[in-house]
Amino acid sequence: MEEYPEELRTPPVALISLVGCSDHHPAISGHLHSLQPPMNVLALPDFSKIQAVLTKKAKEPGAGDPPSGILKRDWLLKHRTRVPAVVAAMFSSAHVSGDPAQWLQVCTELENLKAAARPRNIKLVVIVVQSSSADDINEDRMIALRKRADVDSKYLVIYTPSDASELKQSLNRLANVFVELANTYYRDEGRRMKTRVEKKSFSSIELNIRYCFKVAVYAEFRRDWVEALRFYEEAYRILREMIGTSTRLPPIQRLVEIKHVAEQLHFKVSTLLLHGGKIIEAVTWFRQHNASYKRLVGAPEAIYLHWEWMSRQFLVFAELLETSSATTQTISSVTADNPDRGLTEWEFRPAYYFQLAAHYLKKKRSSLDIALSMLVNANEIDGGAESVAPSTFVGQFARLLEQGEALSFQPIDDEEYIHYALTEGKRFQDSYEIIALFNRSYESYSNLRVQRMGSTCGLEIAKEYFLVGDFTTAKQFFDNFAHLYRQEGWVILLWEALGYSRECSKKMGAVKNFVESSLEMASLPVSSDYIQSLGFKECGPAGPPSLPERESIHKEILELVSGELGVRSLEETNDLNVTEGNPLHLEIDLVSPLRSVLLASVAFHEQTVKPGASTLMTLSLLSQLPLTTEIDQLEVQFNQSEYNFTITNAERPHSTSKITSGTQNHRVETAASLSLVTNKWLRLTYEIKSEQSGKLECISVIAKLGPHFTIFCRAESPASMDGLPLWKFEDRVETYPTKDPALAITGQKVIQVEEAEPLVDLNLGDSGAALVGESFMVPVNIAARGHDIYSGELKINLVDVKGGGLFSTRETEPSTMDGHHVELLSVAGAEWEDESQKEAEKINNIQQSFGLVSIPFLKIGDTWSCKLEIKWYRPKPVMLYVSLGYSPHGNELNAQKIHVHKSLQIEGQNPVLISHRFLLPFRRDPLLLSKMKAVSENNQFTSLPLNETSILILSAKNCTEVPLQVESLYVEVDEDCVATSCLIKPGSEDLAHSGLLVPGEEFRKVFMVIPQVNSSTLGMGTVCLRWRRHPGSGVQVSCIQEDSVLTRHKLPDVNVELAPLTITLECPPYGILGDPFTYFIKIHNQTQLLQEVKFSLADSQSFVLSGSHNGTTYVLPKSEHILSYKLVPLVSGPLQLPKVTLTSVRYSAGYQPSVNASTIFVYPSKPHLKVADQREGRTESVAAK
Amino acid sequence: MIVCVAVVGHQNNPLYIQSFTEADDALKLHHIVHCSLDVIDERVNNPKKSGPLLNETFLGLLYPTENYKVYGYLTNTKVKFILVTTDLDVKDADVRNFFRRFHAAYGDAVSNPFHVPGKKITSRTFAESVSTIVKAFGLSSAG
Repeated sequence: MEEYPEELRTPPVALISLVGCSDHHPAISGHLHSLQPPMNVLALPDFSKIQAVLTKKAKEPGAGDPPSGILKRDWLLKHRTRVPAVVAAMFSSAHVSGDPAQWLQVCTELENLKAAARPRNIKLVVIVVQSSSADDINEDRMIALRKRADVDSKYLVIYTPSDASELKQSLNRLANVFVELANTYYRDEGRRMKTRVEKKSFSSIELNIRYCFKVAVYAEFRRDWVEALRFYEEAYRILREMIGTSTRLPPIQRLVEIKHVAEQLHFKVSTLLLHGGKIIEAVTWFRQHNASYKRLVGAPEAIYLHWEWMSRQFLVFAELLETSSATTQTISSVTADNPDRGLTEWEFRPAYYFQLAAHYLKKKRSSLDIALSMLVNANEIDGGAESVAPSTFVGQFARLLEQGEALSFQPIDDEEYIHYALTEGKRFQDSYEIIALFNRSYESYSNLRVQRMGSTCGLEIAKEYFLVGDFTTAKQFFDNFAHLYRQEGWVILLWEALGYSRECSKKMGAVKNFVESSLEMASLPVSSDYIQSLGFKECGPAGPPSLPERESIHKEILELVSGELGVRSLEETNDLNVTEGNPLHLEIDLVSPLRSVLLASVAFHEQTVKPGASTLMTLSLLSQLPLTTEIDQLEVQFNQSEYNFTITNAERPHSTSKITSGTQNHRVETAASLSLVTNKWLRLTYEIKSEQSGKLECISVIAKLGPHFTIFCRAESPASMDGLPLWKFEDRVETYPTKDPALAITGQKVIQVEEAEPLVDLNLGDSGAALVGESFMVPVNIAARGHDIYSGELKINLVDVKGGGLFSTRETEPSTMDGHHVELLSVAGAEWEDESQKEAEKINNIQQSFGLVSIPFLKIGDTWSCKLEIKWYRPKPVMLYVSLGYSPHGNELNAQKIHVHKSLQIEGQNPVLISHRFLLPFRRDPLLLSKMKAVSENNQFTSLPLNETSILILSAKNCTEVPLQVESLYVEVDEDCVATSCLIKPGSEDLAHSGLLVPGEEFRKVFMVIPQVNSSTLGMGTVCLRWRRHPGSGVQVSCIQEDSVLTRHKLPDVNVELAPLTITLECPPYGILGDPFTYFIKIHNQTQLLQEVKFSLADSQSFVLSGSHNGTTYVLPKSEHILSYKLVPLVSGPLQLPKVTLTSVRYSAGYQPSVNASTIFVYPSKPHLKVADQREGRTESVAAK
Repeated sequence: MIVCVAVVGHQNNPLYIQSFTEADDALKLHHIVHCSLDVIDERVNNPKKSGPLLNETFLGLLYPTENYKVYGYLTNTKVKFILVTTDLDVKDADVRNFFRRFHAAYGDAVSNPFHVPGKKITSRTFAESVSTIVKAFGLSSAG
């Protein structure tokens, strides 16, 4: 596209001419340039020049003759730079209104200008430059000026540059005038041409095309794209019809001209379509263009001109598509909308056109080469073609003759033209052009992630580099793109790429690359049957892919590596050879394409082996090379180098040289034959004697094929071996790498050498469940049964059974030991007493859940034991792992260690469950206001009355399965709540009984609580229970520490408040049938207020009662009111006292005694209670307190 | 005239490729078939583009090259059939018909108990039937 002149590439730009007052030209032209669309300015300083510019050249005398060309080459340029649409004459106001001489000059200049502009129909504008706004212009003169200029009053513009705002105004005014007049001019011109087309007033078809073209260009000037498009298409159509009929020029040049014009017209049409966003139309248009000119090859000697032209069409269209923004946005919708048009996705992509442009350029090159080779004497032609140049018409060439000053064109005949074109063609480096085109296509495809098309382009690039002799770059490209073909199994395409790559390596003298490519080619799955029609030439340097070709490549390599023959490369100095000074080493790993050359699979026959025992290992080799390959020597390498061994070929006894220099005590095996037959496993089985425990892995196999050629091949396990990527699609016999098919499926190249059987006993004493808080002892016993123990180490590990850590990081769980729930405290050794100073060293490392202890030397028969002290902070089951590592032989430093493992699950349990209960004294009820309110609320706190005695009952239940001995139970008041806030006294000093708690039994103790502070959250302190395991409980004695354990339980906070009223019911402890007793109801007012209390007493069938049934009474502040009733029981047994209901008016709170509190036992007669007397008394005292 | 037919497997590996030209352009046909896989990928990965052609085995014209037209067909088992023809004016119905017969022949070939799925098709019978179908296509489009 760049080779087109600018006036063709860009839409036409209107041209304005400014004459006179040159000082103001830059400002005006700057403004016009910045317009949208811009305008060009032809600035002329004075009026004398304008005539020369505007004068129309005289028409050629024979105007009636058919013209000698279709389009003039410079017509577009002429309208861009020389023929203005509007001429603006600028006069300064001083001159206009100046003295008569100046006025006369103005008039003359104006007349001249008019005379020059009129024949061309150019529009005229008069600008009067007013140097300052103060200047007044003579009105008469202005009118006179306008009349003289013969212009409409609006085309007489006053230009005021002095003031910024006025300047802007003037410029805008000017611009409007110019745009309007330019449009008129181009419309008039266009209309003139159009009438000629419509009236068919033209003498020849060439003129018809030219007029159409002009109409279209004028329409473009006016931005009338629709009309422009219509006339371009019309011109194109007429031109296409002209091909068969025109006889004006010699045939070759005639076609060349038509194609050139067609190219221009096509370019214009495509540009207009694409800029209008009509991408489908543009592509369809291009397709038609391509179809109608593709076959117009022309004369055989000029055929390359056609290909060049075709290539240019594609290139230009590709570039147009690329620059058109519409392309990328709408492409998907476009294809979706038009499934039936037969357009495919790729036709909307520039890459497609670049690729074809390159393709046609290749065609051009090859036909140019043929044309050049047909020339007898090229130099002679060069001389003749010198003076040929493009002539006045588009697509025409003529001889340039110098006749004195003047230049004139002389038509040339076809032969001359061909010579000229050939010399032009020779000047271009087509290869680089082709590479550039393919590259653009390739990049475009890569951006779209279209690999395969991209790689086809890449391959073409590589071939071009190959042709121009840039082998390094070419090889790089070939190798890159071979990868894709290899991946997808396109063997033929891979063969082609490898063939080129191989040739490049050969030319570059790169032996390794050459051998690699050759071996890969030789091992490709190419069979001869389906390549029947691949021509030799097409396949590049490698020839057609076939079995004989593979064999010959293989043979060549065999000869090369055996040193018999060096392959000659192009440069004599770069002979390819493999010699002592130039050895060759190839590496084949798990992803190498050379795996089909040599595949090594190693399988141990067993998965594990005891130390010292021997096992079998099978080494299998497979090659897909077409000829049988003889291996001289194989070296098998292991991860432990002392196992490495070498296999030599018995048939070649002379070649026993070492592959790797090094250890002398190398194991050497001899195999009867080491020949690799195509697609047949070579299986070799050897015995391996294991020595050390651990992992033994076969790493690699090194095959030596000639005196200086080795292949390093990574060993693969048959179980995890992938098939050969290219061969897996082939229909071939597949065999197992080992004789035993099961081994072929499960075989591994790794074997585990086990450690020796331990002959030491490790025992963990089972001591049942552990209790939270105590130091739990687990005895560990080690008995050396059959081994001495040297440098023994005991590893101890505590692991949570449920898998979670033993560790709690939660803030809500306060714990003393960094959140550890279970902790290994220490290891106490039984045998260490004698050497206590060493103890610190022996306990190497004790952490919360991990311990490491060294064991002293033990002879056979010795025992050793220790105790692990573990403490639980939370009830949690724990797994205890103990492992002993030792070496049975003391003298060897790096001797193998033997390990014994033991584990034990230990439950952690809570020893006791502590609970508490608050009680109020019997038959005494304070009115607690918070209790009334808290009916609906979820009040956690227990409420206690202030200054009243409440009773706290603490109980501890043994939840274990062993009896516990309780030593003491007391309440520890928190430090922050001083003793004055609350008084807690034990109800009795000593324990009720011995304190032995059998499993499930509960221990209780009673305390009296007198709160002394009115607080809603009063801390009650902590219950402390001191206990230990009961010593009488059997086997555990040995492992339980004698110390008692303190279990703490925090009491919840209580709510203390002052009770305004307290009600006490008083009656004797029992009644006797028929014996009257007094029933007191005492209401104690603790407030400073008068309390009104309503009371009522219900009748009871069991009693006869005296006293008021109901009423209201007033209780004075800080005083007590007593209601008393006399009751006579009528029946015996437990009886309900008459029901009392009290209501405090102030608090609107009612009170009813509970059933318990209002029950009395009535004896039939007076009882004799001597034995129970003491206990009765105590109960009374408690109640009294 | 049909110049090349191909069967391409799941991994875009060629299972069967046969050209029917006298000229030395078999390799070029290989390239064309290989490149057309890009178009199939694109069509399969962006099914909305094909709109009403969803669930349709016939993929239509894949792409026009300089002198050839390439048509594609995708079986339910994601095996691709590719047809390269030099006829520039081909009726879709003819191509569909061709592919239907080709698919049947392919089905017969892979139903052979000795054929391993995923491997190249080496059956001679298949080659013969393909060549019959190809010849028949030439006749029908000519007539």
